[in-house]
Amino acid sequence: MPCKISLRYVTSVVENTSNEQVGIAVTDEQALITALKQRDPTALAAVFETYADRIYRLGMNLLHDEQHADCVVQDTFLALIEHIDQFEGRSSLGTWLYRVGYNHCLNQLRKVKPSLELDSLDEPDMMPVNFNPWPAPEEMVFTSEITSELERAIATLSPALRAVFVMRDIEELSTNETASVLGISESAVKVRLHRARLLLREQLAPYFGEQFEQTGV
Amino acid sequence: MECQDLIKYLSDYIDNRLDEALTRAAQEHLATCANCHVVLDSTQKTILLYRQRDQQNGLTTRHYQSLYDQLAQAFAKKPEGDL
Repeated sequence: MPCKISLRYVTSVVENTSNEQVGIAVTDEQALITALKQRDPTALAAVFETYADRIYRLGMNLLHDEQHADCVVQDTFLALIEHIDQFEGRSSLGTWLYRVGYNHCLNQLRKVKPSLELDSLDEPDMMPVNFNPWPAPEEMVFTSEITSELERAIATLSPALRAVFVMRDIEELSTNETASVLGISESAVKVRLHRARLLLREQLAPYFGEQFEQTGV
Repeated sequence: MECQDLIKYLSDYIDNRLDEALTRAAQEHLATCANCHVVLDSTQKTILLYRQRDQQNGLTTRHYQSLYDQLAQAFAKKPEGDL
């Protein structure tokens, strides 16, 4: 997916601009939107600080590609810059940004698979089959092996289930916000979240069950 | 409550969305069913593991500033009220 403007990547770690520095509380959304419309650069900094990483993680979890995730962030914020004057506040700024980011992800997924089906809820409910205990998270060091296992498991979910799991359980959006971003009902969000959790658990169960057997904690 | 009921209500139980009677019934079942207890525990750990993993992920440690600078430039170039 081509980004709209070229990026010169930096390899060093750079510090964020903190909210204190920019002087705008992101919680004061109306003031923030007004400041954005007035082209106040500190307002853009505040929104970027709050949402850039979240949109990036959404892109990574849906696309599994760093460059594509970068483009999702870039194109989402370019859309904000382009359309801020028309922003009417019918949804929160965060919901709007997630929706734009999600739609960019869908466009990318459809390039790979044009027949991508997102609205199917006719997948059967599953019953767990693996009942081995897992180690406590605090006992687990985040090795590359565990990270790979988590990546592998989430990649087995359909994009529809993955999107709900990412928004509800990782980014901790509410059911209402997630429904608004995805354009589906709250009950559909709940059904998909339930299925996503059970499927992920089942995918991960053999690995973590074995870890528990080896360590006994 | 039976195992299949517990699984059906698992997400609502995790999210504290069950009413008092169903919550009590789920707790009673979980106290006596080792398998369902494992399913609940491992589902909660699944959620925690992904949250922990993603706390380490983000644009910030990569090229946050470069991207921000270019967006700020585009933002500055766009006149106020320009549609």
